[in-house]
Amino acid sequence: MGISRRDFLKTSVAGATAATVGMPLSEQAEAAVKQSEKGWQWDKGVCRFCGTGCGIMVATQGGRIVATKGDPDAPVNRGLNCVKGYFNGKILYGADRLTQPLLRMTDGKFDKKGKFTPISWEKAIDIMEEKIRWALKEKGPTGIGVFASGQYTIHEGYAAVKLWKGGFRSNHIDPNARHCMASAVVAFMQTFGIDEPQGNYDDIEHTDTAILWGANMAEMHPILWSRITDRRLTHKPMKVVNLSVYGNMSSDIADLEIIFSPSGDLAIQNYIAREIVKRDVIDWDFVKKHTQFATGPYDIGYGFRPANAEKFHSAAEMEIVKNEKVRVLDKWEAIAQRRKEGEAVEQKNTAGLLPMRDWAISFEDFKTALEPYTLDFVAEVSKGDPDESIDAYKAKLKQLADMYCDRNRKIVSYWTMGFNQHQRGTWVNEQCYMNHLLTGRQSKPGDGAFSLTGQPSACGTAREVGTFAHRLPADMVVMNPKHRALTEKIWKLPTKTLNPAIGSHFVKQMRDLEDGQMLFSWTHVNNPWQNTANVNHWIKGAREMNNFIVVSEAYPGVSAKVADLILPAAMINEKWGAYGNAERRTQVWRQQVMPPGQARPDIWMMMELSKRFKLKEVWGEQKIPGLKADGFEDGKLPSVLDEAVKMGYNPEQTLYEVLYATPDNKKVAWPDPIAKGHPNITADLLKDGWFPEKALFEEYRQFGTGKAHDLAPFDVYHDDKLRGLKWPVHFKDGKWVETQWRNNEKYDPYCKKGSGFDFYGNDGVKMVMGDLDKPGDPKNTVDISGKAKIYFRPYASPVEKPDANYDLWLCTGRVLEHWHSGTMTRRVPELHRAVPNAVCWIHPKDAEAKGLKRNDLVWVESRRGKVKVRLETGGRNKMPRGMIYVPWFDEGVLINKVTLDATCPQSKETDYKKCSVKIYKA
Amino acid sequence: MNLSGILVVAKPEFQAQVVEALNGLEGVEVHQVDEATGRIVAVQEAANIHAEIDGVKRIKALPHVILAEMVYHYLADDERKYEDMPPELQDQQSGFDGCVVPEYLNS
Repeated sequence: MGISRRDFLKTSVAGATAATVGMPLSEQAEAAVKQSEKGWQWDKGVCRFCGTGCGIMVATQGGRIVATKGDPDAPVNRGLNCVKGYFNGKILYGADRLTQPLLRMTDGKFDKKGKFTPISWEKAIDIMEEKIRWALKEKGPTGIGVFASGQYTIHEGYAAVKLWKGGFRSNHIDPNARHCMASAVVAFMQTFGIDEPQGNYDDIEHTDTAILWGANMAEMHPILWSRITDRRLTHKPMKVVNLSVYGNMSSDIADLEIIFSPSGDLAIQNYIAREIVKRDVIDWDFVKKHTQFATGPYDIGYGFRPANAEKFHSAAEMEIVKNEKVRVLDKWEAIAQRRKEGEAVEQKNTAGLLPMRDWAISFEDFKTALEPYTLDFVAEVSKGDPDESIDAYKAKLKQLADMYCDRNRKIVSYWTMGFNQHQRGTWVNEQCYMNHLLTGRQSKPGDGAFSLTGQPSACGTAREVGTFAHRLPADMVVMNPKHRALTEKIWKLPTKTLNPAIGSHFVKQMRDLEDGQMLFSWTHVNNPWQNTANVNHWIKGAREMNNFIVVSEAYPGVSAKVADLILPAAMINEKWGAYGNAERRTQVWRQQVMPPGQARPDIWMMMELSKRFKLKEVWGEQKIPGLKADGFEDGKLPSVLDEAVKMGYNPEQTLYEVLYATPDNKKVAWPDPIAKGHPNITADLLKDGWFPEKALFEEYRQFGTGKAHDLAPFDVYHDDKLRGLKWPVHFKDGKWVETQWRNNEKYDPYCKKGSGFDFYGNDGVKMVMGDLDKPGDPKNTVDISGKAKIYFRPYASPVEKPDANYDLWLCTGRVLEHWHSGTMTRRVPELHRAVPNAVCWIHPKDAEAKGLKRNDLVWVESRRGKVKVRLETGGRNKMPRGMIYVPWFDEGVLINKVTLDATCPQSKETDYKKCSVKIYKA
Repeated sequence: MNLSGILVVAKPEFQAQVVEALNGLEGVEVHQVDEATGRIVAVQEAANIHAEIDGVKRIKALPHVILAEMVYHYLADDERKYEDMPPELQDQQSGFDGCVVPEYLNS
C-alpha cells in the first residue's frame, strides 16, 4: 500500500470518527470520507454483546461487513464503542466458523461415541425428529428440553417458547439468563409486581451519586461507565461508590471503595436501613402512600438437589450439599436472624414455590428486625480486607449511610452479577429497593435502584417474551389459569393445551440429564457446558447417559464438543433481529449479509423441525409426572384433539401450519418494502411467501398491548431515524411515544390520575398480615394495590466457607476484552491477543505464603473439581488476602469445574461468586 | 495495517498539552480538535494488532486525558484469515476430528 493511499485512509478514518461523535468536519475530510466509503451501504444495528444495547452502524460491501462504528444517533452510546463493541464486525469471520451440520457417527450411523461427520440439513432434522419421538414416547413432554438464551432475538425466543410450550406442551425451556438475571426478575416481581427497571440510563445525567454493588462497570459496562465518568467530572456534587469483594478498575474514579466479605452486602443493606430509621429520615409521605412492609421465611435452603443428593454427589460435596436439609447457624446468622449459635434449623421452605412465600408486617416489626444490624456488628461480619483496620472500615460504612440519609442527595444504585449470582440473590435485590423506597428514591429522574443486564436481550427476549420454565409473554406465568387462557386465545390453541406445571430451570435440566429424566436436549445461542457451575457432573450427564444432545452454535465451543449433533447457526447480522436492553429499549436490525456455508438462523431450524410433527402426535393425552393443578387430572395433560377439530384444525396438520405459518401470519408477505433490498434468508428458505420475523413480532405484540408492556408495530422500529423505544410505548398525537420513568405519574400514562407514584403491578394483590416469624390469620389481609413492598431480609452466611483444607474464597466473572464464554470474542485476534488466557488473580502475600509467584502454573481445586491456571499478582484486579478471582471466558481454564452449584432458592440462579478452594503448584 | 479513529477528551485547560503529547506518540496523529468541548480526534496506525490495543491504553495513561475510546475501526483491507487462534482451539482447525471431546474436558 502506497503512502498516499495510507494518508488518504487516515484522513477518512479521522473524518468518520469526528462525524460519529458529532464534531464538525472539514471540507477535505468530508470529501475523503465520501471517497473511501464509496459503494458501502450503512445500516443501523445493535451491539451483539452486553445488555447496555449500544447502537452500532454496520457497513457492507459485496456481501461482507467492511466497517462498523458507534452510532452517533444512538442515545445509549452517542457514537462511542467499548473495545468489544468496536470489533462487532469481526466476530462473524473467525476461521473455525461452523458451516455444516455435524453428527457423531460410526460406519455411517449415529453413534454416541462416534466422530463428528458432516451431514445434510435433511438428515440433521431427520435424526432430531427421531430422537424427539423416542424421548416423548419414553418420558412424555418432560423428556425434552431447551437451553434457551438471553441472546436470542425477540423473534427467536418467541418462536422457541411457542413451539415448546404450545406445540410440544413442555415447559422445559429455560434460558442462560437464569444464570444472570433470575434474581433480579424475582425481586422485581415480588416488590413491584412487574418486571424490569423503572428508570433508564438518563438517570446518570440527573443523579448526584452512583453506587455500584458488586458491579465492575468500568470493565463490564464501559459505555455506561463513560457516562458516569463524564458526570463525575462535570457535576460537582457527584460521588461514585464502589462496593466490591476485591479492588477493581471501577475503583479508579470512585470516591469511596468498600471491600466487603462474600454475602456481607446483606448485612450492609440492613445497616443502611437501620440508620435511615434511626436518624428518622424516612420519606413518610412516600412510604405511607406507596409501600407495604413485608417479610418471608429464612429456612429456604440453597437450591441443591432436593432428593437423592447422595446418589449423585461425592462425600466431599455432601459436606456442603447436606445444608439443603439442615443448617447449623453460625454466630453471625444467629445474631442476624435473632436465634442461637449452633442451632440446627431444618430447612422447611425449600420445595416448589415455598421459598417465595411472603406476608405483610408492621413498621414496628420491620424496625425490630433491623435492630441487630448495628455498625459494630455489620462491620465485623462484612469487612472484606483483612489488612484494613476495623475503624477505617467503619468510617466508610458510616460515610455510605450518610449519603443515603442525606435527603437532598439523589442516588442511583447499580448492580449485575454481584447481587444476582448470590445464594440470597433475590433478598439482596429486594434490600436495595428497601433503602431506595424508604427514602422515596425510586422512579424519579436520578433516583432509583437500577438492575443492569449482561446479555443483549436478557430483558427483551428471556424476560419479556418469557423463555423461562415458568413464564409466558408479558410477565405471565404457566401456573396461572387466566394467563394460560389468554395465551391459548392469542395462540389459537384449544383450552388446556398449555401445561400448568412449572418446567425444569436451567440447572435442573442439567440434573434431569444426569439422572436420566430428560432424554433430548437442544441448546440455542449459549454455551451451557461452559456456563453452568459444577460442570463435571453435566459433561458426564451429556456424554455417558443414553440421551441426545443437540447444540446450535456458530463456533465449536465446549457445548458443541459435548454434543451429539451440532447445527451451524447464523449470527447477528446474518439474520433479521431485535433485542431489548436493560432500560426497556426495543431495538431492531435488518439482515446485512448471508451466513457462511450452510449456517442457518435458529428460527429456521425450529420451523423446519415443527414441520415434522402432526397435531395428533403431540396434542393427545400426555403424562406429566407431579402435575397437580385445578381442572387437571393429577399427572396428566388431557387430549385436546377433539376441541382442536371443533376449532377447525385437522389432526394431520403440522405444528408449522398451526403455530407459525398460520393464515394470519401468512398475510404478512415477503418481500416487504421495509427491507429496502436487504435479504431475508429465513423467508427465502421457507419459500412460502411470508415474513416470519415481522409476522411473529406482530403476533407477540398482542400480549403486552394494554398490559403495561406495549410495543410499537414492527415497521415503526425499522424507521431509519429511530433508535429504539422504551416500553410501554403509546400512540399519541400521531406518534409512537416511549415511557421514560415508569410508575411515576408525570411520565407513565399507566399511573392512576392524582397518584403521584403508582406501583400498579401489584393492583389487586392482597397480603396476609403476620409477624417476623410467620403469617397470621389468613382472613386478616391488606390490599397492596398501587404499592411496592419493602422487605425485611436477614443476613445469611455463604453455604461453603473457606476452612483448613480449602482455605481461599474463589470469585469468578468476566474481563473487559471477552464476553461470556469467549466463543465469539476469542475469534477476534485483537481481543484474543489482548487477553489470551484466563489468569488467577491473587494477593502477592497469599502467593508468597504458599511459595508461589506470578506466572506460576497452579491447580485451583475445590470439593468438585480442579483446573490449571497461571497466577497473576498485579494487574487490574486487587485481591484482598484470602480471595482469588478467575474469569470464566477461557475454555482451556474451565473454572466452572470448580464452582459450586448452589442457587438462590427463590430465583434458582447459581452463585458463581463464592465457594472455597485451595491452590498448589501444578 | 491497523487504523483506528480515537476520540480523546482532555481537560479543556490542558488541551494543547494533550495534543502535543498525542503527536509525540509513535503512530498517532491528531486530525481534529474541538476547543469548546476539549474533544480531539486522533488516528492511530499500529504496526501489529497487539500494538493497536496497547496504543489506546498508552493514550489513556497520558496526563489530563479524561477519556480515550476507539470509535472507528478500519478493516476493509483486512482480508486475512485469523491465524492466531487460542492454543487449545488450534487443533480443531485441521478438520472435524478436532470436535471430539478434548482431553481437558474429561480430566
